[in-house]
Amino acid sequence: MNLPHIHLLLNHWPIIGAFIALGLFVIALATRNGDVRQVSLILFAVIALMAIPVYLSGNAAADALKKTPELSKSAVEAHEGAALLAFSFLELTGIFSLFGLWQFSRHAKEQSHTAAWSSMAVLLCAIATAGLMAVTGNTGGDIRHPEIVVKDAAPSAIAAMGAKTILGLRYFVIDYSRWVWPLVETLHFIGLIMLVGTVGILSLRILGFMKQLPVGPLHRLIPIGIAGLIINVITGFLFFIGMPFFYVFNWYFQLKILAIGVAGAILVLFYCTGLFRKSMNVGPGEDAPGFAKLVALSSIVLWVVIVVIGRYIPLGESAQ
Amino acid sequence: MVQETTTAIPEFFKTIEEGGLSMWVRDNPFWAILSVHALGMALLVGASGVLALRLLGIPRDLPIAPLKRLYTPIWIGFWIQVVSGLLLLIGYPTKSLTNLDFYLKLVLIVAGMVVMVMLKKRVFGEAGISEADMMSRGKTMAILSLVFWLGVITSGRMLAYTYTYISYPF
Repeated sequence: MNLPHIHLLLNHWPIIGAFIALGLFVIALATRNGDVRQVSLILFAVIALMAIPVYLSGNAAADALKKTPELSKSAVEAHEGAALLAFSFLELTGIFSLFGLWQFSRHAKEQSHTAAWSSMAVLLCAIATAGLMAVTGNTGGDIRHPEIVVKDAAPSAIAAMGAKTILGLRYFVIDYSRWVWPLVETLHFIGLIMLVGTVGILSLRILGFMKQLPVGPLHRLIPIGIAGLIINVITGFLFFIGMPFFYVFNWYFQLKILAIGVAGAILVLFYCTGLFRKSMNVGPGEDAPGFAKLVALSSIVLWVVIVVIGRYIPLGESAQ
Repeated sequence: MVQETTTAIPEFFKTIEEGGLSMWVRDNPFWAILSVHALGMALLVGASGVLALRLLGIPRDLPIAPLKRLYTPIWIGFWIQVVSGLLLLIGYPTKSLTNLDFYLKLVLIVAGMVVMVMLKKRVFGEAGISEADMMSRGKTMAILSLVFWLGVITSGRMLAYTYTYISYPF
């Protein structure tokens, strides 16, 4: 198995998943069914996570196709452009979904008014995502199946817009000024502190350090951590778009993405199961449940590993 | 003491650079030390930042008094930074010591730590004062500490992009 293989293996899931999750979400809104709503939000979060390796490995797939000159280069560029837009909206949907799940677990059974705006945000982003996913799938199919391309059909305007966005971002990060890259690096470190600082302190408390602190109010720090995560996903993708071929074949980078995926999956599990609500009731001096301690320990270990591997990325030149 | 040097770089830096410890740092554990330096940063600035933000009212329902305990990770983080930072400096003395940005970073670190120590005295020094009092007492220093730590991170990150002399390129 290699990176193009991973791309082909995973790439249908976010597309089909976006439509299924959107369908479920609309049904949940129409029937006011909380359980279906929760399932669709989890689905959005899961495919948003899954789409990260799909987008990243796409560059390796494009690189592999350079050896087959009969395939259209412009078809690859169109697909990459559409993919960036679809991916961005899917991540946005995923973030709003996590937020919705968080509200859902906080307010438990009662019908909350605060959830209304996040539902609206999920719905709008998911509709945009589904549309963009259709374009992405279509332009992707055109790469390998010239026989289905309609002759003289106008190229997708959306895909062209996405391709332009990629070139614009790459120019901004690499060539616009020698200070853009250092500035993005600085932001990436600030995001790291926001994320690791808050998640770390909460995890240490759950493990039993600083026991006088109640867990529930301490959890109010987590939005700061999520903001740090969002900063780092955006700045991280700016690095990647700036130098995709440096990163995509970089062994440390691949390992880092894998570790982030595992950390993300654990996060989704923590918030979707009753574990989160149980931990939040732990008051000053009380012990957290054993499973919560396991999650806390794994999150500390994973984020330490992620920071360390990240620091090693400059060392990991092309493995292929 | 006046020293005659033929180059712009003082001989003293070269003496360090040719020493065993410096060669060892460059040779092998350099990236490991950088990793530790990043983790120490998260500990020191993360804990300081959480305390500062709480004193500024974010998040409001978190009790302030037990946050005094955050000084443990703050000091652990600080000493990790001192040790790992010194090792990095021993590895590349010319690169850092000929860069004005490096001295800016040192000044900002001192300012940041002084503010954290003063903040502890003012906010946690007297037992039994109300949270509102703690917040009003700590407000200015909380803002200052956030500003100084942001400055430390920015100037620290810029060290990789602003140096003029390096004897042993990466």
